[in-house]
Amino acid sequence: MAQLDDRAASAPIPSQPAPYQPAQYQPAPAIPAATQLLAIAWMRWRMFANGFRRQAASGKSAGFVLSILLRMILWPILALWVIGPAIGAAFFAWRAIAHHHPERLIPLLAGVAILWQFIAVNGTSMAATLSTFEPASLLRFPLRFGRYLLLRLLLGLLTPSTIVGCLVLFAAALGIGIADSSLAPAAFFVLAIYAALNIFFSRMIAVWLERWLATRRAREIFGALMAFVFIGFQYFNFNRLKFRRPTGHPAHPPTDSWLLNFLNGNYHFLNWLPPGFATNSIVPGHALVRLAQFAALLAWTALFLAAFAFRLHRQFLGEYISEGAPRTTAAASTPRAFPRAPAPTPAGVFNQQLTTNNQQLFSPTIAACLRKEWLYLRGNSNQIVAMLTPLVFVFLFAKGMLARHPSYLLTGAIGYSLLGLMAALYNIFGADGAGVQLYLLAPVRLRDVILSKNIASLALLGAEAVLAWCVVAAVATVPIPLSMQISTFLWVIFMLFANLTLGTLRSIQAPRKISIAQARRMRSPATGKTSGLLVLAILFGSILLQVPVTLICRHFHNPWLAVVIFMPLAAVAVAAYALLLSNADRLILTHRDTFAQELCSD
Amino acid sequence: MPAAIETTSLTRRFGDFTAVDNVNLTVEAGQFFGFLGPNGAGKSTTIKMLTGLLAPTSGTIRILGADLTQNSAELKRQIGVVPEGMALFGRLTASEYLRFVGRMYGLDRATTEQRTAELLDFMSLADEQKKLVTDFSHGMQKKLALAAAVIHGPKVLFLDEPFEGVDAIAAGTLKQMLQRMIARGATIFLTSHVLEIVERLCTHIGIIHRGQLVAQGSIEQLRAGVASSGSVPLTLEQIFLEIVGTDRTGNLAATPPEQELSWLS
Repeated sequence: MAQLDDRAASAPIPSQPAPYQPAQYQPAPAIPAATQLLAIAWMRWRMFANGFRRQAASGKSAGFVLSILLRMILWPILALWVIGPAIGAAFFAWRAIAHHHPERLIPLLAGVAILWQFIAVNGTSMAATLSTFEPASLLRFPLRFGRYLLLRLLLGLLTPSTIVGCLVLFAAALGIGIADSSLAPAAFFVLAIYAALNIFFSRMIAVWLERWLATRRAREIFGALMAFVFIGFQYFNFNRLKFRRPTGHPAHPPTDSWLLNFLNGNYHFLNWLPPGFATNSIVPGHALVRLAQFAALLAWTALFLAAFAFRLHRQFLGEYISEGAPRTTAAASTPRAFPRAPAPTPAGVFNQQLTTNNQQLFSPTIAACLRKEWLYLRGNSNQIVAMLTPLVFVFLFAKGMLARHPSYLLTGAIGYSLLGLMAALYNIFGADGAGVQLYLLAPVRLRDVILSKNIASLALLGAEAVLAWCVVAAVATVPIPLSMQISTFLWVIFMLFANLTLGTLRSIQAPRKISIAQARRMRSPATGKTSGLLVLAILFGSILLQVPVTLICRHFHNPWLAVVIFMPLAAVAVAAYALLLSNADRLILTHRDTFAQELCSD
Repeated sequence: MPAAIETTSLTRRFGDFTAVDNVNLTVEAGQFFGFLGPNGAGKSTTIKMLTGLLAPTSGTIRILGADLTQNSAELKRQIGVVPEGMALFGRLTASEYLRFVGRMYGLDRATTEQRTAELLDFMSLADEQKKLVTDFSHGMQKKLALAAAVIHGPKVLFLDEPFEGVDAIAAGTLKQMLQRMIARGATIFLTSHVLEIVERLCTHIGIIHRGQLVAQGSIEQLRAGVASSGSVPLTLEQIFLEIVGTDRTGNLAATPPEQELSWLS
């Protein structure tokens, strides 16, 4: 700035309007949509490219190479998520048409919709992990609502749910076309509309959930509703529902299995929902009937889009959806009279106010930190929703054929339930932000701080594992072998402590700040691309470890082998964690610079 | 000529809490307007509403004579904002960010390039071409936010604490730039806690307290409205404390409490 000081008198002024202009509103020609859309596309590209450049520039070229390698390994695995359902959908659609059972397209399309929303719900945090862009930040620019709506639709098109869903529907249309080429044009066109409907539906759910969960009361109601749905399913026996065809005999009479009933198309309420309308728009029939069915499908599509657009428009107009005032508009408080208290010792100030009943069980530092973690959790009811959602899915999927194979079900259910929650272990300081400086300044052992955070995480994960276990035990139609229960317990211990160790290490070496808004919207912290992929690989790896172990047990016809394998692994994981704890103080002090850079900067 | 900024009964509630209460504000075109108030008085909420980032609970906002709600996109082209928190895109470089902002405001490519180069040079950010915004210091980010706010040549500029964290030399340069904008007919709406800066720059002042606009006018008008004990004219700080320091019953409201923190050594 020194040079500017010298030239202050003749400093170059950026291009401004010529001398004096009366400040009056004069409508200007509209900004072309292409200009703004291309600017946003370019900006997104630069952010993406700069992410890699930053890694390389900061001496993390090894991380860059690692991220490429991880991609080469992970992409084929992820591709299976696309190819598998696509092949299945193509075959199922072909078979339905070729065997003259077009009504079977209804459960296929319903299944695609469920898969779509399942991936959308579960993929949100994962997508956010790799994204640092908040579309609402564009609201300050002179955008018209139509463009903002279009942007919000376009910006999420490359999410896993959309990719998988669209490809599966494309494959289904292909299957229909192969079975009966005369249906191909209608199939491709109708299923394209059906894809749009699913996109609008998932967006609608996301924005309305964000609105509903914005206030504490709404979150509590939603939590209670989820619990109600969860318990209600226990008593809602699909098998007792007798959905009869209006005329004639059913092609497939209702069976004892709700899943088979569903696959056979015996749930006729689906005829009144988008899967039914889409199917009936494709299959041969009277032209007017098909047209009416297609109109109904369009009406559903328009309804979802309208519901999405309505909510987005409120946001566009500047709606503030949280329950309290923004942090800058704190309520004026009246002065309070404080009683004079004896002066405590400076070292005791940190803990004195916060430690109460826990003093007996934990050290003052751990008790204080646990209290703080509890307050954070209490203010983030979305965490409860994040815990309940996988359990509901576990229950829904477990009610089918898996109930007769509790061994696979138990490990699958626990692994799936813990997957999302364990990701939080990899950034335990993120929510503290600049507050981590207190840990460095206060007269406390950093080991205690980490231990308290880990205890809080373990309590959550333990509760989730126990709940998933209970769901499986309730649903299973045959007893779960004791060997399986013990080996699963050991596997959970291994998985938790291995991820706790690696997660804590990662939290110290590469922390990322999480804003309160991100936490409220259940968005994960934005980690670096390499670390994000690495975390995913570790999480999946620790869960999928069950596969080779199960294969070994089957090969040797000895289920107790799993216990023999997981016991030492669990012991090693616990020992590694203990080792990490003993070195925690040194590790954090070594990474003080990273803390300041990542957590304390604006 | 219509007022640059005009609000009528502007109110914003958050649940039971009224952050901005029935504010009738008028800022004439060409004014350098300072908007003052204690912490939590409603300054940032007002700015958010005036720039279309927050919807009012009730009341109307007119910018350059046009209704903001009805002409949101058009009016946003006429205003520049340095919002609270700056709202920069950290994964871009400074030049990339300015290019993006220029294009979003509808500037053609050549003009965007030219103004980007000029602004980076003017703000002494030209040497930081490769650095990402997230790696900038707070002061550098503030300068970049200000550059982005003026790249499209706005007629009305909203600045929320623009000098916070900016070094004295840079602050001097920025003040010069703002005064030249005023000379060329722009209107500036500024909030700051540094009353000396406001007193030196602003021609007109508005004071908000507990959501209500408690004073509005030129500094001379405010001075005239406050009783002075001597012949020396009151400073803005004295005027501010006089107005905000008393509640409706005339009792002291914003002065520090008398009590002592006896345990402090």
